[in-house]
Amino acid sequence: MKYLSQTALRAGAVGVAVLAAAASMAQAEGKSVTIGLTSDPSHLYPLAGEELSSNIMYYHLYDPLVKRAGDLSFGPGLAESWENVDETTWRFNLRDGVTFHNGNAFTAADVVFTVEKARESIRPDLVANIASITAVDDTTVEITTPKPYAVLPNDLAELLVLDEEYTTATGDTDMDLKPMGTGPYMLDQWIKEEKLVLKAFDGYWAGAPKIKEVTFRPITNPATRTAALLTGEVDVIQDLAVRDVDRVKKEGGFSVITRPSLLNVVLAMDMREESPTIEGKNPMTDQRVRAAIAQAIDVDAINKIVMNGLATPSDQYVPSSHIGHVDGMNFREMYPLDIDGAKALMAEAGYADGFTMTLDATNNRYVNDAQIAQALASMLAKINIDLQLNIMPKSNFWGYIRVPTENSSFIMSGWDVPSGDAGSMYGALFYSRGKKDGYGQVNRGSYSNAEMDALVDQADSTPKIEERDALLQQATKILMADVPMIPLHYEQDIYAARDGVMLEPRVDKFLWAYDMDVK
Amino acid sequence: MFGYLLKRLIQMTLVLWVVSVIVFLMMSFTGDPVFMVVPIDATDAEIAQARRLLGLDQSLLVQYGKFLTSLVQGDFGNSYVFRQPAMTLILERMPATVEMVLVAMALAIVVAIPLGVYAGANPNSRISRVIMAGSLLGISLPGFWVGMVLIYLFAVHWGVFPSSGRGDTAEFLGLRISLLTWDGWHHIMLPAITLSLGTMAILLRMTRAGMMEVGRQDFMKFARAKGATRRDVLYKHGLKNALIPVVTIFGLQLGDLIAFATITETIFSWPGMGKLLIDSIYRADRPVIVVYLMLVALIFVVINFIVDIVYTLIDPRITLK
Repeated sequence: MKYLSQTALRAGAVGVAVLAAAASMAQAEGKSVTIGLTSDPSHLYPLAGEELSSNIMYYHLYDPLVKRAGDLSFGPGLAESWENVDETTWRFNLRDGVTFHNGNAFTAADVVFTVEKARESIRPDLVANIASITAVDDTTVEITTPKPYAVLPNDLAELLVLDEEYTTATGDTDMDLKPMGTGPYMLDQWIKEEKLVLKAFDGYWAGAPKIKEVTFRPITNPATRTAALLTGEVDVIQDLAVRDVDRVKKEGGFSVITRPSLLNVVLAMDMREESPTIEGKNPMTDQRVRAAIAQAIDVDAINKIVMNGLATPSDQYVPSSHIGHVDGMNFREMYPLDIDGAKALMAEAGYADGFTMTLDATNNRYVNDAQIAQALASMLAKINIDLQLNIMPKSNFWGYIRVPTENSSFIMSGWDVPSGDAGSMYGALFYSRGKKDGYGQVNRGSYSNAEMDALVDQADSTPKIEERDALLQQATKILMADVPMIPLHYEQDIYAARDGVMLEPRVDKFLWAYDMDVK
Repeated sequence: MFGYLLKRLIQMTLVLWVVSVIVFLMMSFTGDPVFMVVPIDATDAEIAQARRLLGLDQSLLVQYGKFLTSLVQGDFGNSYVFRQPAMTLILERMPATVEMVLVAMALAIVVAIPLGVYAGANPNSRISRVIMAGSLLGISLPGFWVGMVLIYLFAVHWGVFPSSGRGDTAEFLGLRISLLTWDGWHHIMLPAITLSLGTMAILLRMTRAGMMEVGRQDFMKFARAKGATRRDVLYKHGLKNALIPVVTIFGLQLGDLIAFATITETIFSWPGMGKLLIDSIYRADRPVIVVYLMLVALIFVVINFIVDIVYTLIDPRITLK
């Protein structure tokens, strides 16, 4: 027995030595980083679907024509420059000498192919604002939009260019396993649910990446993710659990990095004359009732008690970086917490005794979503609104609340606009329902305001971005006065990294190793 | 024997068919999978296109008919979320799970049988009481809690085992096996221990109960009287007769752990197939759920078949009919 345990020990020592040797070998080959993600990507083929982990991989492997920086500023990507030929025609001058990982040259034909491929795929929304595309020559494409559309370049930041020859030969199913793009990294190895390893593409057009090998490990359980960071198995983790923030801060050698996300948690109020869960006339058709509900909600209390201080109360429907945000305007100042004032408004509207309605919310989509719903119920009880809770998993939720919203009066959901422009959100959420194709499709509260519709129409038909901004700012002012929806807070993205990892989190959450560095 | 096999085969087909029908029916209540795939601001036309691409534009009956016809041709359908063959998704994750479960079951047997025999043979000794109290803990402590405590102690605090993942693997017959590398063993220990505790406790208690029952039988005294050693009496005469219920439970537990090791896999981010099932349920990914549960039914049928054969080996009086 003694002999046995000694061999075991010796084997252990050898194992450790081998590990150490492997580690130092990796060091010699170049910098590497291991990142703990919340889940394994579902796809590596950008037209197969989207969710965060897949998006993170897409931007390592592929490039868009227009590049969205971490702060949501837009700049040249595979297109070096672009200009308006006329109000609905755009000309994009493509970068010369770019190659895909397999050595194929990137040309205008690839861009045309990608747009047409997207139209037939599960993501036609990516090219919804493109009417036609033609290759003028090898390095120029011309895109026409159905109507003047000032933010086309922002939209193109989400369209990742495929290699026509390779994609056609490989087929959709295999593209998920064998991706081929022009991006800064190439796929080295993907063992499902275990690890995905990327190798630097040294021929990258913007310069070879500093970090030569990136390993992504899916670690779903938040506590395990923290443990993996603390034991040094990973260098960076995504979504550090709120309860582990203090623990990691206290531990030497690690830092916690937070930044407000783009995800605005909002409450949509039904504005039809009759509402599915309210008996009699719908009180929320009256602006005073909507304002009263807004004033009865204590966002600071939600932030402190439910979110552990890790949320940022929303000032408007879109963040300040976006087109359409009005500087200096703050929902929280317009509708500050004021129970007596709210009660007075309710009385003025003729609902001093309140009413009963149901809130539909998720329990696995947003941070602490079910707890927020419970907090809302107790807050609204103070102005005599009896809020019933209907809480369900997200797999049921989206179908349940879907327009024409036959079941809901009051809905909690989240909305983010990574394109940096309020227009798409306003068009989808606040445009009158059923008036125009592609507008108002998510207008769950049936809000309808002719002035608002006109502003969105005008914004969507000007080729000038300043005009669009001015029009959308006007729209924002109308919305803030009308309160068809109450913005609650932006969730905060929380990362943790060991010291020596340089990480500036992106607003859109897409971790990008090309921008990172390690010591 | 042939008749027995045929009967089993018919039974199995019936079970698999029933499972597929139940899952198909159940899944029509769990939300529309198309909303898990399209962006939330998708227009009606975009949703219709996605529905068509996923084959969800037809009635449930037609979908089921298509499922059955392609099943007969060996095609188990594609996942809505991954857009990959459902069977491949499951099979590529299966070796990791099976490996972890086998180590866990081996641990459970090695610990449970000797302790159970001891506790059954000496029911009143102090050590037996300690063993039985320990087994109660093993049954009542939830796996996720044990897993977290083990990670905290052995990975974070003492740093002797890694917290998660599978580590290095080596190829064997085309499968990636972690038991062939030191690093693999290093990674598999904590999850296997976590997974084994419940089964260990159950097997231990079953063994003890069986041994106490057998201990009162006359043949045990005869065996001792004819001069067999105490050890031979306990293990050759006693244990063999106490083993039938233990083997039954062992088979059921084995199937259960392979199919539903989800929690342990999630905690240790072990790349097994249990997590796939839970993820698929969350995403209403019916093709994966159907194939997974049919596969699970198959595993249970096969394990029970093997258990039946083991019965005949343990007790020659039992025959397969």
